[in-house]
Amino acid sequence: MEIRAVTKRYGQADNTVTALDAVDARFDPGTFTAVMGPSGSGKSTLLHCAAGLDRVTSGEVLIDGVPVKDLSERALTRLRRSRVGFVFQAFNLIPALTAAQNVVLPLRLAGRRPRPGEVAAMLAEVGLAERAGHRPTELSGGQQQRVAIARALVTRPAVIFADEPTGALDARSGLEILRLLRAAVDRHGQTIVMVTHDPVAAAHADRVLFLADGRVVDDVAGPVGAEKIAVHTARLEESAR
Amino acid sequence: MTAWAMVRHRFASFAGTFVAIALGVAVVAGSVTLYLSSRPQPPERYRASPVMVQAPSVGINDYGEPEIRSWTPDELAEVSGRLEQDPRITAAIPDPFFYVQRQGTADHGMARLAGHSWSSAALGGYQLATGHAPAKKGEVVVGASQGEVSVGAPADEAGATAGLVPGGTIEVLTAVGPETWTVTGTTDGPGFYVSDDDALARASGVRVIGLTVTGDQEQVADGAQARIGGAGTVRAGPERAALEPVEVTRIRWIGAQLLIAMVTLGAFATVFVVASTCALTAAQRRRELGLLRTAGATPGQVRRMMYAETALIAVFAGLVGAPVGSALAPLLARPMTDLDLEPPGFEATWQPAAAGGAILLGLIVALAGVAVAARRASRVPPLAALREAAAETRSMTPARWVFGLLSAAGGAALLAAMPAMATQSKTTAGMGAAMLLITAAALLAPVVIGPLVRLVTAPWRGSATGMVVREGTLTGVRRVASTAAPVLVTVGMTVLLVGMVATINEAAGVDEAADIPAATVLAPDGTPGLSEAAVRGQAGSSRLDTRVLVTHGAATTGEYAAGIAGSAVTLTPEAAGEVGASVGSAITLRFADGAQTSLPVRRIDAGAAAPVVLPRDLVRKHDPDALTSMVVLTGEPRPAAGARVMTARGYAEEQVAEEGDLVDLFLRVLIGLTAGYTAIAVSNTLLMATAARRQEFRALRLAGAGLGQVLRVTTAEAVLAAVVGALLGGAVGVFSLAGVRAAVEDELGRKVALMIPWDAGLGVTALCALLAVGATAVPVLRRPGLAR
Repeated sequence: MEIRAVTKRYGQADNTVTALDAVDARFDPGTFTAVMGPSGSGKSTLLHCAAGLDRVTSGEVLIDGVPVKDLSERALTRLRRSRVGFVFQAFNLIPALTAAQNVVLPLRLAGRRPRPGEVAAMLAEVGLAERAGHRPTELSGGQQQRVAIARALVTRPAVIFADEPTGALDARSGLEILRLLRAAVDRHGQTIVMVTHDPVAAAHADRVLFLADGRVVDDVAGPVGAEKIAVHTARLEESAR
Repeated sequence: MTAWAMVRHRFASFAGTFVAIALGVAVVAGSVTLYLSSRPQPPERYRASPVMVQAPSVGINDYGEPEIRSWTPDELAEVSGRLEQDPRITAAIPDPFFYVQRQGTADHGMARLAGHSWSSAALGGYQLATGHAPAKKGEVVVGASQGEVSVGAPADEAGATAGLVPGGTIEVLTAVGPETWTVTGTTDGPGFYVSDDDALARASGVRVIGLTVTGDQEQVADGAQARIGGAGTVRAGPERAALEPVEVTRIRWIGAQLLIAMVTLGAFATVFVVASTCALTAAQRRRELGLLRTAGATPGQVRRMMYAETALIAVFAGLVGAPVGSALAPLLARPMTDLDLEPPGFEATWQPAAAGGAILLGLIVALAGVAVAARRASRVPPLAALREAAAETRSMTPARWVFGLLSAAGGAALLAAMPAMATQSKTTAGMGAAMLLITAAALLAPVVIGPLVRLVTAPWRGSATGMVVREGTLTGVRRVASTAAPVLVTVGMTVLLVGMVATINEAAGVDEAADIPAATVLAPDGTPGLSEAAVRGQAGSSRLDTRVLVTHGAATTGEYAAGIAGSAVTLTPEAAGEVGASVGSAITLRFADGAQTSLPVRRIDAGAAAPVVLPRDLVRKHDPDALTSMVVLTGEPRPAAGARVMTARGYAEEQVAEEGDLVDLFLRVLIGLTAGYTAIAVSNTLLMATAARRQEFRALRLAGAGLGQVLRVTTAEAVLAAVVGALLGGAVGVFSLAGVRAAVEDELGRKVALMIPWDAGLGVTALCALLAVGATAVPVLRRPGLAR
């Protein structure tokens, strides 16, 4: 996973906002990276661009070594489907489908039949084996997010992008989610990139990237303690003023 | 799997699409069932004659039917003789018919078919119930029903034969005049049966010979055709539908006009409503589709899923709608016969083609409606799912512009071309133009909605309600366009249909009043026309109506002709042009009895009473069954059976009123159908749109709005949508109406007042607004605990 000199501007002509300004970043296999920064620093845009959800203004994005620039929408979707997993703050499960159906959806969309027990095993891994038949509205927030993680893991993607995965959860559920993500890295060598503004969440990562005004201002190799991150963040916000 | 799960889980949100398709399919299935049921049938009277022979066809008339000439008596004998040489043909029976009705009864269009020859009873397998066959002139066998009694009144039917027993007498009216016949017997067939010679003498020629046969029908039919060659056309089995009397066919034709209009309008409303409903559903699911995209669905997969969902819904809806439509059709059959829109005995039968076709139409329309929306939806970027606010980015797409402008241009061109069209196609063209313009208005609506909303809400700029409504509509322009669409069709079609009839009536009313002389007339009274006896001895001028076939070169043209006492052979310039005649040239005429003569044209006169005017005696000689439509009296009237005296103006007004009643009926049915369906669509789309915005209203309540304030906002938005639709629909209606008026003015060569039906337009607008307000209040009130 790599992005090279990525710039992203929004708006047209005289009224543009530069969200990312020539950002370079590499995410090595089997690492857990946290991306932090104050509001409007471009961390979500970085994630969207790196995941191929949004097209960049200039620069290059490689997903699992494949440059996305010249891919059609269809080819890009296929690449994302097989190589990238997502976990969002708002869970984003399909309300019409049960937990098991949500998990199996990426496989089905790829035209793949799940191996017997694959989905059940996936749900068991996130601790929801007995909830397979429930719809999202019948699950708590933490449970929904666990379904979302199972859905992201099911295709064994090269990278999982998590956008504030604990943002909508209470501390205890949030911790469970972070442990699940950590376990995926440690046990399966999963690569994870997580955007967060919570120092406690970032403390679970191997490395923390600090963003401000669309640029990488610091790159701290972990494990880093939560307090140290909090201090770091406070200093960044101070200097931004 | 996904499509099925979506449909099952979200059936509530697909319910709008379901209702729209089911109703549309029901309307189309019902009207097509009626239409197909009203196709000509082999007459019941010919049920025992599987093979029949029709006189030669010589051309096509204005209704698109073959023009059949009569056999002359010599030809009839010759053809019959040749047919009877075939041993498999047991009898060749000519079927003459003539006008007869019992005195004191009123004709409902069938009396001119009531008189038959006794031998023709065999064609229907009818037997004598009592008494014996008629042997000479003045004797009759009366049928179980006599054709002229009012249909739908069984009491009359029973009474029709009451007191008629062999040996008694019956007072009747014929083309000759009042007659007293001796009843020699009764039969189970319909009508009056006189001796064969008597019937042949009374009939306007013979155009059908029925055969009773033994052996294989097909072979007999082939053999018969070979024997007679070009002297007739053999019709076997279902082909005998072609032998339906023209009087019956004409009634069917009137009904068919209404049914065709119903099918067309119903199909249009279905296409329109279903397409806009499908588009609305798709627009509402933007976020959900974005979620699918983030889960890894390609645009093609999203599109295919939407097609699959829609197909599922459309098939379900069709399977519900088609049987409902087919089941309701028979309920309309009786009123249609009662109103003389269909001949007696008309029944709506099970028409698999109508039901199947309607289901297919629903499916195709739904898929087409969702196609555009699906294309758009499949391009929803996955990011759209992540952005909470689902405010629309763009309300007008290039496709909307292109199709909107194309429809507008097509509609305008059709209106512009109207003056050059044939009179009969003008109303069709007007309706077609309106349909195109309505489509254009619906597609281009987002362009005008913005300014319109700003204008309408300007007075309430200061209030919170005003602000929320204004911004809510301005950011949801497409949604407003979707909810305004059904109102647009309802108002546009109502304004056009009512206004068109009012404008044409206005023009016609002026027209009629202009040519009516201040005179008294003798007019038929419950009869199809005046008998010879009623006309004879009256001081005044009359016309004897018949039809002649004019041969010119290799072609033959049928023309309406009038016999006027003392008149020379006169043609109107149109008729002269058609048959290539000029003053002094001879025209070859074939009369109702089959006889052909050549006559020199004496005059060509644009004011002639009929396309062909002939001496009255000549017409009477060749058409014994001809009737006189009215006599313009110059002296004191002499009372006569089946005739009444009235002023010319009264007579004209009655004719106009009769036509007006029929037109009113057409209007009521068509508007009821269109407006009924689209009004349901109004509540349907608003219900859908509001239900999908519960979240938004919840936020409004959390911001401190009371339930009453939320209701005020939804009500204002609903009214706004209705007003936008009504304004656009009204504009389209008036614009089309102006085009129709221009065409009418062009035809009449004078100014015609534009009749804008304000009351009808405002009435349907109020109805739509009421439905809209109700439909938006329901979803809000169903969850009153919004602020929890």
